[in-house]
Amino acid sequence: MRTIIQYIRKKLSVRVSLWVVLFATVIFVAALGIMFYQSSKAIQQEAISRASQILDKTSLYVEGILNRVEVASNMTKWLAERHPDEPDSMFVYSRSMLLKNPDFYSCSIAFEADHFKEKGRYFSAYTKHDGDSIRTIQGGSENYQYFYMDWYLMPMLLDKPCWTEPYVDLDAATNTSEMVTTYSQVIFDHQRRKIGVINTSLSISWLSHSISSIKPYPNSYSIMVGRGGTYFVHPDSTKITRQTIFTRTMEKPDTALTALGHAMQRGEEGMKIINLDGEDCYVFYKPLGKTGCSMAIVCPESDIFGSFKRVRRAVMAMVLLGLMLMLYFLIRIITRELSPLRRLADEAENIASGHFDVQLPDLHRTDEIGQLSHSFAGMQQSLVQYISELKETTSQKASIESELHIASSIQMGMLPDKFPTKADRDDVQIYASLTPAKDVGGDLFDFYFRDEKLFFCIGDVSGKGVPASLFMAVTRAVFRTVSSHESVPNRIMTRMNEIIVEMNKTHMFVTLFVGVLDLPTGLLHYCNAGHDAPVLVGDGVGELPCDSNIPVGVMPSWQFTLQDAQIFPGTTIFLFTDGLTEAMDAEFAQFQINRVTDVATEALANHQHEPHQIVDLMTDAVHQFVGDAEQSDDLTMMAIQYIKK
Amino acid sequence: MQHDLNDEKMKRILILMITVLLALCQSAKAQDSETIVFTPQWTAQAQFAGYYVAEAKGFYREAGVNVKIEHLLATQSAVKRLLNNDCQATTLQLCQALEIVDGGVPLVNILQTSMNNAMVIVSARGKNPLTQKGARVGIWNVEFGQLAICMSMKERLDYQWVRCAQGINLFVAGALDATLAMSYNEYYQLVQAGFEMNEKDVYRFCNHGYNVQEDGVYMTREYYEKHPEMAKKFAQASRKGWEWAAQHPEEAIDIVMRYVEKDHISTNRVMQRLMLKEVLRLQIDRESKKREFRLRPDMVRQANKMMLENLMLSREVGYKELVE
Repeated sequence: MRTIIQYIRKKLSVRVSLWVVLFATVIFVAALGIMFYQSSKAIQQEAISRASQILDKTSLYVEGILNRVEVASNMTKWLAERHPDEPDSMFVYSRSMLLKNPDFYSCSIAFEADHFKEKGRYFSAYTKHDGDSIRTIQGGSENYQYFYMDWYLMPMLLDKPCWTEPYVDLDAATNTSEMVTTYSQVIFDHQRRKIGVINTSLSISWLSHSISSIKPYPNSYSIMVGRGGTYFVHPDSTKITRQTIFTRTMEKPDTALTALGHAMQRGEEGMKIINLDGEDCYVFYKPLGKTGCSMAIVCPESDIFGSFKRVRRAVMAMVLLGLMLMLYFLIRIITRELSPLRRLADEAENIASGHFDVQLPDLHRTDEIGQLSHSFAGMQQSLVQYISELKETTSQKASIESELHIASSIQMGMLPDKFPTKADRDDVQIYASLTPAKDVGGDLFDFYFRDEKLFFCIGDVSGKGVPASLFMAVTRAVFRTVSSHESVPNRIMTRMNEIIVEMNKTHMFVTLFVGVLDLPTGLLHYCNAGHDAPVLVGDGVGELPCDSNIPVGVMPSWQFTLQDAQIFPGTTIFLFTDGLTEAMDAEFAQFQINRVTDVATEALANHQHEPHQIVDLMTDAVHQFVGDAEQSDDLTMMAIQYIKK
Repeated sequence: MQHDLNDEKMKRILILMITVLLALCQSAKAQDSETIVFTPQWTAQAQFAGYYVAEAKGFYREAGVNVKIEHLLATQSAVKRLLNNDCQATTLQLCQALEIVDGGVPLVNILQTSMNNAMVIVSARGKNPLTQKGARVGIWNVEFGQLAICMSMKERLDYQWVRCAQGINLFVAGALDATLAMSYNEYYQLVQAGFEMNEKDVYRFCNHGYNVQEDGVYMTREYYEKHPEMAKKFAQASRKGWEWAAQHPEEAIDIVMRYVEKDHISTNRVMQRLMLKEVLRLQIDRESKKREFRLRPDMVRQANKMMLENLMLSREVGYKELVE
């Protein structure tokens, strides 16, 4: 399944085809669904109307015959009640009923036990067809006590004429049986006492025969049930008179069948859908006149909807096949139409792998794919040109980088790299570091000894990179030149300013701190031209007071002021550029002077304020503060400890 | 159709006496002394499954007794056949047997199958039978239903008894307010006719102090005393038939259905299966929970008491009169 999904995801043609076919399927299903629904409704309506016609016709036919029985019975009753004391007349009445109505099965005029003393306990004038003749006898005996029979008791108990439940009449004399129903009504004497019952029987074999032959559909059949639900007509002859419509519900409840049985018992008319033997059947039912019986036509759903379902299956199969073909051809067509794209993709991969000179397919198409191909060709040309330019630029850059690297080495070479320690001198020890932000930087520091004096400076040229580095080289050279014959820092600064301003066409400037430490006395003369004030770390930590002078290279006539301070043995002068105080972390927060003094204070407390120690501690602190943020400015620190004892 | 019960009883006693005389006259009637003709008191149905099984499975033959099961015609009476010596054994309800012995024909109960009473009154929907004073109630036109008459009198219900061949159609048609039914037969026929049975509308005699045994196999004492061994063998083989039927109910129904088909009885397998199940249930004694096959003296006394109170018997018929 996952493989199929992955395949579908990979193939645009399959995906687009599936979407189209899915959309078509939805439209087909909706359209066919509505059509099938309407058609099945129409077929159902036709079945109902067909069954109703048959039921109405049969019912009317039965009603006609029943009415005839009732009329004949009423006439005989009238005669019997006119002469209730003449038993022999009863034979005549009974016989004449059958003579006049040859389609009746039998007639008996039965009286209460011992009604006619002279005739014995049982008296029933009974007439019945016997082949072609008519037989009239006196019925009733010990073995046939008619007054316990349904047909006798029912009108007596209900006080009205009634049709009894059909039953199979066994004629012992001829050993024949006939399914009959009887119309019974009470005979009254002149005092309105119930003295007997007239019973007119009608064979319903003809009825059951005509009902069972009704077949509106090939597999449909008819049933007839009595008041007690007993089957009197059923295609399964073993059920007739032996089972009722409820029998099968006794062991396996079936509410639908039970509801049908009750509806038929109540003499209702209608239609129900019942599942019989695993198949849904439409059952149309209607009462049969006043007999209390009800007939039903059972039509299997497959019969009613047989042809409809065949057509529906054929249509569904055609639609399904059509959709499959549609899917197949769509995939083929889309794959063919998109094949140039595949080729383009392959060539793009080739180009991506470095083969910029591959020949793109010439599609000769004017559609979107053609346009894409042209655009792709244009892109390939631009790419080739760009790559060649890039190669050139890259080689130029490599050359510049190489030169810069050399420049950086030269610049670093300008700075002192030998720092005097206790081992070298007994009056001062020095340490410094310079870390440029780019290959070359604009910071500088310098120191040298002359006439028992330490000449030193630290500075920061405006800007960065190569221009700043050149300016720095010039500044350092000028410092060395001027300080070689001048020992007062403000004069050194003034002279340097004059020289630099003169050659400063680019309007750059440099902040500079110049100091001259008299090594025998520890007296420090200094001049600060706009640079950060150094920090003294000795008997406590504090900034060296500095006058406000402008940086070197700005104004040719500026008079720089001289300051001096006594440096006591053990005190370290910590000088730095703004690359330290303005070092920024990832959130652009600055290191600031208070952190510098904090580190210095901690170093002092730990007796770690020798030049090398203090520069290293400060470097660690600033690295920790900056973290992974890119270095934004050159960082230069120089520490000078006066150790003369 | 209300019958005066005393008149009915007098008539029945007269008929019995006449038939006894006839029976005595026919005592010399040629009868194969080796064959017992057994006539159950109703048409072929699972109520008599044990006897059919005994015949079909050859239990009678194994016991060395020839038994011929002959059913009644629908309108005949088994009692009359017994008294006419048309058959030598029949099934009777205990109350029927008491009436016959009281009428002057000594009978012997050779096998008692029923241990409980099966009679019920089913009334039209929503009406408790005990609240229907003066209701029209269907009763068999043959000699069952003595207990119901006793109960009607005792409870002062004054039912109008309507004797009929079968009350189902009359009841379903609404001509009766209630009908007597056997829990194994008419009860299920009513269900089968679509009547929605509600236990509130069903009065079961066995649950109201009228649990008197019903079916047992009876012979005239005269015949029994002439053929005691045959009678015992017949009874034992019949009992074996019932025990087999209880163990193999489906096979027993197969056998029952063969008898039913032969006599063209309008019934079906479902009904016969339900009937057999209920008949077998009724054979289990409520106290011992066993199929005892014995007449209980206490039930004989109870039946006597009720029937004497209602003048159905002229004297008490003792337990010992009925057994060997």
